[in-house]
Amino acid sequence: MKFPGSGLAKGLAVTMRTMTRKTVTAQYPDVQPDLPPRSRGVIALLEENCTVCMLCARECPDWCIYIDSHKETLPAADPNARARTRNVLDRFAIDFSLCMYCGICIEVCPFDALFWSPEFEYAETDIRELTHERDRLREWMWTVPPPPAHDAAAEEPKEIAMARKAADKLAAAAAAAAAAAAEEGEQS
Amino acid sequence: MDVTHSHGTPGQGPVPLGIPDPANPGAAVEQRRLGPLARLAPDPVKVVLNWGRRYSLWCFNFGLACCAIEFIAASMAKHDFIRMGVIPFAPGPRQADLMIVSGTVTDKMAPAVKRLYEQMPEPKYVISFGACANSGGPYWDSYSVTKGVDQIIPVDVYVPGCPPRPEALLQGILKLQEKIAAEDVPQRYAAPAAALRRPLQAAPAPAPAAEEGER
Repeated sequence: MKFPGSGLAKGLAVTMRTMTRKTVTAQYPDVQPDLPPRSRGVIALLEENCTVCMLCARECPDWCIYIDSHKETLPAADPNARARTRNVLDRFAIDFSLCMYCGICIEVCPFDALFWSPEFEYAETDIRELTHERDRLREWMWTVPPPPAHDAAAEEPKEIAMARKAADKLAAAAAAAAAAAAEEGEQS
Repeated sequence: MDVTHSHGTPGQGPVPLGIPDPANPGAAVEQRRLGPLARLAPDPVKVVLNWGRRYSLWCFNFGLACCAIEFIAASMAKHDFIRMGVIPFAPGPRQADLMIVSGTVTDKMAPAVKRLYEQMPEPKYVISFGACANSGGPYWDSYSVTKGVDQIIPVDVYVPGCPPRPEALLQGILKLQEKIAAEDVPQRYAAPAAALRRPLQAAPAPAPAAEEGER
């Protein structure tokens, strides 16, 4: 059965119902979003750690990483040693118009030179500016969040466990030495 | 969808679809026109016109792949780009100001994208959303994928991501609004449309027979 104004009443009922509920809209440009941990926004480069091993460029499924380098010969430190060669990074660029954000480059990097940063605000009006060169990639490094804390019940990180073991050993040795010295004092 | 039929002008052959022809670069550029009133309007009026264009972008979504999901998320209550004046309910391209190409443009789809872009009234803007629309993305080496929608239509803002976050689209829209606020429409139309595009690389000309022997 239909009577005039039923649609209006229905609409107003919906309005009244939703009026009392909390709004869900995120006020993005005013309020930055609360991004999930390990959010994949942009890839940052810590170029001090890069040894130009090219693993990232070779593993990239899109081939969107461009690396140029040259070799430098370091003079021998001591006359009997031979001169060492070292790779020097000339260009490191990631084409973010091509990147598929799989993170394989970050996974394979053996020296921890690449990191995820959650920044996503780098839309451009020119596509050539989406190829971020090394200085821009280095700038992203400042936005990389610290690694997430370990689980409270998790095993200690290995380096801390080793350091603790060594410190415990030293403390035990010191305690034993002190006990021995005290014993000697009693006997004499 | 038959996109090759002529526009009711029999005898003139199919409508030029603007697919770049490597042998004849620049031939696909369409004519853009602007009335004399827009050219002669005083500056305050232009500012008002830009302000109006900026906050009333009726949007025509070209959702072609997974990025369309993020576009839909951006249009829904959580991100709600109607707050910024982008209205996703344009009845069709003829009522839209902004085209958002989200997804992989295949060579088969490219004529339809081009045609619908040409149906939009001037001034029109394009946001390329996601890696596939920017440059082909993971499919840049594919036989059937257009290497970026900017090969067929001029793009104003590129939003990177695979797929980008809905917030990234909002930021792209803000970038576009800044661009619209700063732009001078007559200048935009004075420049040939080719200036908005990346130059196309011409295919190497077939070598003459004399050079054939040298190789």
